Amino acid sequence: MRKILISLILPVSVVVILTILTTFTGLIPPYFLPSPSEVIQSFETLLMNGELVQDTSLTLMRVVLSLTVSALIGIPLGILMGWSDTVRDLSSFMVGILRPIPPIAWIPFAILWFGVGLESAVFIIFIGSVFPILINTMDGVKRVDKVLLESAYTLGASDIQVLRKVAFPASLPNIVTGLKVGVGVGLMCTVAAEMIGSNSGLGYLIFTSTSMLDTGSAIVGMLTIGIIGLGADYLFSRIEKEVSW
Amino acid sequence: MITLENITKGYLKYKQEYVALQDINLKVDKGEFLCIVGPSGCGKTTLLRMIAGLDFPTSGQIMENETEISGPSRERGYVFQQYSLFPWRNVLDNVAFGLEVQGLADEERYQKARKYLKMVGLSSFEKSSPQELSGGMKQRVAIARCLVNDPQVLLMDEPFSALDVQTRHKLQKELVHIWRKEQKTIIFVTHNVDEAVFLADRVVVLSSAPGTIIKTFNIELDRIRDRTSHEFLNLKKEITRLLDVEP
Repeated sequence: MRKILISLILPVSVVVILTILTTFTGLIPPYFLPSPSEVIQSFETLLMNGELVQDTSLTLMRVVLSLTVSALIGIPLGILMGWSDTVRDLSSFMVGILRPIPPIAWIPFAILWFGVGLESAVFIIFIGSVFPILINTMDGVKRVDKVLLESAYTLGASDIQVLRKVAFPASLPNIVTGLKVGVGVGLMCTVAAEMIGSNSGLGYLIFTSTSMLDTGSAIVGMLTIGIIGLGADYLFSRIEKEVSW
Repeated sequence: MITLENITKGYLKYKQEYVALQDINLKVDKGEFLCIVGPSGCGKTTLLRMIAGLDFPTSGQIMENETEISGPSRERGYVFQQYSLFPWRNVLDNVAFGLEVQGLADEERYQKARKYLKMVGLSSFEKSSPQELSGGMKQRVAIARCLVNDPQVLLMDEPFSALDVQTRHKLQKELVHIWRKEQKTIIFVTHNVDEAVFLADRVVVLSSAPGTIIKTFNIELDRIRDRTSHEFLNLKKEITRLLDVEP
């Protein structure tokens, strides 16, 4: 309870200060930064006309879809890179070059390869989320206690069995951490992704409302992404605790 | 029977060649309890790892019966100095691991695992996770996990070194009982002379850097041995002196 109260101090203060600055003193014009009451108004409107629910669910669907693709590619690849020095030597240079490229830079190619639509959006979010998953998985597998691997070998396990029954479960906590970071980065990519890939979603909402100076709706969209991120973080932290020992 | 012929093991450190073990010749008979003692860094763990197939000699041959050892096998169980239980598996599933990778059905492998868990006195802990166990219990489970595979040879690398004296003595006694009951060949590495004299049929004393066999002692005292008997203390003294003159 005390923790919750303390964590509320900053956001409540920000709202109070913004209310004073925008509504009561008028120091900040509404197109510059909307007042909290305007944001609440926009929130009501978007909730009533169903836009918010629809955008949120569409964005969530895209993020979940992208994350699934990232996990399906990032986890096996990360396990291979962590397991085999050869695979790691082969691919770490390539991964090192691709990883720092901002997902937004891939937009032109996303459009060329996938056209405008869901695939492009998923591709952009995938680019953002696959690397944290890949790198964390690789690190996890690489750092598995050697004694555990050798124990398994002396107990008669084959390479594949050691990989499946020792290396994978031992690195599960790292894999979950990778997914957690991946969701965060994926959400950060939603605006860029929905800018091109769709005409719906929270990213699209933010992007279009800002261009029409509807700053209240933009902030509703931003906060919704933030809350989704917070929720995802909480969820994965719980899973992290569950799979670690 | 395990045979080591002219084993030499070198390694590179800071681009320099070191010799860890030199000209080791050793035969370990079936059912024998052999202890290898030596100062730290004499290569005794390396020697054991090579018998396990986790490491390989620079020259020489290690044979199990008539075949050269080419890698780890469930015929040669290994108990590590460090705690080595799989932390995400409960005690029973740890013990059953070796049978699981052989593809035995649940019922059969749990039945066998329970038998060995009982042998090490931990039947009531089968659902516990390794983190809930004390150091001595963890090593008991590790021993049971090896025995369940019914290996011909049990290789033990200072498995009791992290335990307090009382627990260590207790586990040594239990190990002697298990060895007699299961009739395994045991090769046990330790730097503790008391432990070696208590456990072994034969004690092999290694010198340090490079490790060579300096002397072998046959211990013919009755089991379970009395640590306070004259013969015991004399043997201990003799071996300790031998190790102390080593630089």
